[in-house]
Amino acid sequence: MKLSMKLIAGAVALGFAAMSGAAVVPAGVKLAAKQELIRNNGSEPESLDPALAESVGANNIARDLFEGLTANDAAGKIVPGVAESWKQTDPTTWVFKLRKNAMWSNGTPVTADDFVYGWQRFLDPKTASPYASTYGIFILNGLAITEGKKQPSELGIKAIDKYTLEVKTEGPVGFMADLVSNTQLGPVNKAAIEKFGKDWTKPGNLVGNGAYVLKDWQVNSKLVLEKNPKYWDAKAVVLNKVTYLPVEDGNTDVKLFQSGENDWVYQLPPGTYDQLKTEFPKDIRNAPMLGLRYYSFNNTDPLMKDIRVRKALSMVIDRDILASKVTADGQVPAYGVVVKGTAGADVTAYDWAKWPMAKRVAEAKKLLAQAGVKPGTKIKFSYNTSEYHKKMAIFAASEWKTKLGLDTEMENMEFKVLLKKRHDGDFQIARNGWVADYNDVTTFLTLVQCDSDQNDNKNCNKKGDELIKQASTTLDPVKRKTLMTQAAKVIMDDYPMLPLLQYTVPRLVKSYVGGYTKTNSMDRFRDKDLYIIQH
Amino acid sequence: MWSYALRRILSTIPTILVVITVCYLMLHLTPGGPFDSERKVSAAVLANLQAKYHLDMPLWKQYLYYLNNLLHGDLGASFRYADWSVNDLVARALPVSLSIGGISMIISIVIGVALGIVAALKQNSLVDYFVMLLGNVGSAFPSFVIGPVLILVFAIWVKWFPAGGWDEFSPKYMILPIVLLTFINVSTIGRVMRGSLIEVMNTNFIRTARAKGLPLRTIVMRHAIRPALLPVVSVLGPLAISSITAAIVTETVFSLPGIGKLIVNGAGNRDYTLVLGLVVLVTVLAVVLNLLVDLAYAILDPKIRY
Repeated sequence: MKLSMKLIAGAVALGFAAMSGAAVVPAGVKLAAKQELIRNNGSEPESLDPALAESVGANNIARDLFEGLTANDAAGKIVPGVAESWKQTDPTTWVFKLRKNAMWSNGTPVTADDFVYGWQRFLDPKTASPYASTYGIFILNGLAITEGKKQPSELGIKAIDKYTLEVKTEGPVGFMADLVSNTQLGPVNKAAIEKFGKDWTKPGNLVGNGAYVLKDWQVNSKLVLEKNPKYWDAKAVVLNKVTYLPVEDGNTDVKLFQSGENDWVYQLPPGTYDQLKTEFPKDIRNAPMLGLRYYSFNNTDPLMKDIRVRKALSMVIDRDILASKVTADGQVPAYGVVVKGTAGADVTAYDWAKWPMAKRVAEAKKLLAQAGVKPGTKIKFSYNTSEYHKKMAIFAASEWKTKLGLDTEMENMEFKVLLKKRHDGDFQIARNGWVADYNDVTTFLTLVQCDSDQNDNKNCNKKGDELIKQASTTLDPVKRKTLMTQAAKVIMDDYPMLPLLQYTVPRLVKSYVGGYTKTNSMDRFRDKDLYIIQH
Repeated sequence: MWSYALRRILSTIPTILVVITVCYLMLHLTPGGPFDSERKVSAAVLANLQAKYHLDMPLWKQYLYYLNNLLHGDLGASFRYADWSVNDLVARALPVSLSIGGISMIISIVIGVALGIVAALKQNSLVDYFVMLLGNVGSAFPSFVIGPVLILVFAIWVKWFPAGGWDEFSPKYMILPIVLLTFINVSTIGRVMRGSLIEVMNTNFIRTARAKGLPLRTIVMRHAIRPALLPVVSVLGPLAISSITAAIVTETVFSLPGIGKLIVNGAGNRDYTLVLGLVVLVTVLAVVLNLLVDLAYAILDPKIRY
């Protein structure tokens, strides 16, 4: 413990009120007279209640309507939100100082009590938030409350005074500032919720504390936001009006962009990146994000439980060709469970990743022979119906066929069916993917940890789990990082799954949309950070 | 006729019940549930969600609970659209689909019947070939091909209309979807009308009318058109229903907030209540449309009396 105070001092993260995260318009940039943005969001939000928001799209809107203690700026950095500053006062306690000028859109001040109410409501079993256990696990008693074993009032959050908030955690949570940027862990307006009940998120009823207010919401058609004049940083907000579209079909999305009715394509249709890049060289954007495309091995399957088989299957997939020729949209080859840019651990890779392919194939053949797997053996691959997944699967199957002589039976199915099979362990090899919930290594390690809900591979490495446990109780960020990296390496040396590519976000955004960056690795763009350049 | 209509409507109640029951069971038998997502929810969260939506009750109890709500006009809460009830969603989507489908149906009948008449009377002429070609193209090319072509030409090249979207029944958003549906419907109606009128024109009573020296115009308008319309009316019922199912494609292509979009999202997301609500709606519509078609027979054919 002697060391700890010094370490805490080192781990203290301080925010400054002066460092506001709003739109930074570079000198010399002329703004357009009309500051309005139309942005496709990929799907209809399942809810505007931040506690119930689950999808990327719903969270995008939630971050405009609500603001938590901290937030992501356009560059991907954590900046102060309602909290002006914060510090870790002991290993399991964080204290947040709230700004006094934060207001609800109805003009009443945002206070520490609003956060206490918001967090308790978020974890209350009656709210049934899909994210309750994901974030609740870090907060003292959070999980027990979600499980109905404790009362919401026992949650580790307390209003010391009107503008001071104390948060108790289960263990040391070094990435607290990152975690609380999620609007699930934000404030909600008790008066509005109690007055309107289920309808509190409808236009006219919704009271938020974000940079925007809800003006209009037509399901499956559009959702319109307007600048919130009561927002504490309103003077730095440039866009006056933002229209979110819920277009799911990529081709429709691009057509709306071409005809000028959409400034922001959510995601390009598969196989169109190169063509659209040539057609719209000024508008094409692509940057890596914290997400991993991988295939789950069912580690309990009679064939897949042999590590030699899993290793051989992983070794022979040429990620470089997969990235450059098959998906051909700028994605990055991956060889570990942790992707580049993740805080709290280094990227791990296999030694053979640098070997020439011939050597990899020879080694893989040897492994299969040792495992007694003969050429012509059948393996079964399951994926959800999608052109993109199909292309990748055909490539993988051809690698396994031509290099190892294995026959892959490909089985495509509806997404929900795949999810069910994956969660039930009813598969041999299955397509999988993950996008970080917050920027820390733990979000990725849940994919391979023993008994984790997210572990579809059903693998368990006791040593790796022990290292994660050690790291989680360590206060020294450097030591924690070393331990977490070791854990990732130890677990991945078991080949529980087959990492393939790190996600990038290829999309079209009109060149006159300013504030868009390549470093926002969580792909979280708040509209307060964007602006329209004169064009 | 009224008692006939009433009897028909009452006899649909068992039909609807059977449809609901079968659909209910099928939905629950389909693998994957409303709360399966890429990020698997923990057992505790799943239990909370199921309790919230009454999915923790035994299936028969859930079923009775649903039926009870349905009798009170409540289609339940949506899983996929958590902030809305199924009633809300249907109330907002139905006018969109009905306006697009209804307007296109009326235009299709007028154009289709007119083209059919012209083609039948000028058999093997240029007009006839044109109608037949249109009919074949309309049947052969699926709407997901014609739709994007319309968008390419009228929204991206000449920029007359938006490529998609919806704004409170603003005509500029409605025109392209209506054109697409009309095109498909006209081709069917035109072909049926043509064939049927050609057949009628060769019957004895028309020959008699010709022998009496009546002008062609009178023969067609007064004697031939009513019997020739019978097959057209027969296809209108199924055509109207298929307009709703076709909406799944048209609404995706034009990004319209109608019933088709809800069906797709509801099924894909295992939104049990939403899908059931829409199935009930489509069943009722189908029954009503078929009834209207049967009643129309009585008007067109004096031999048919109820």
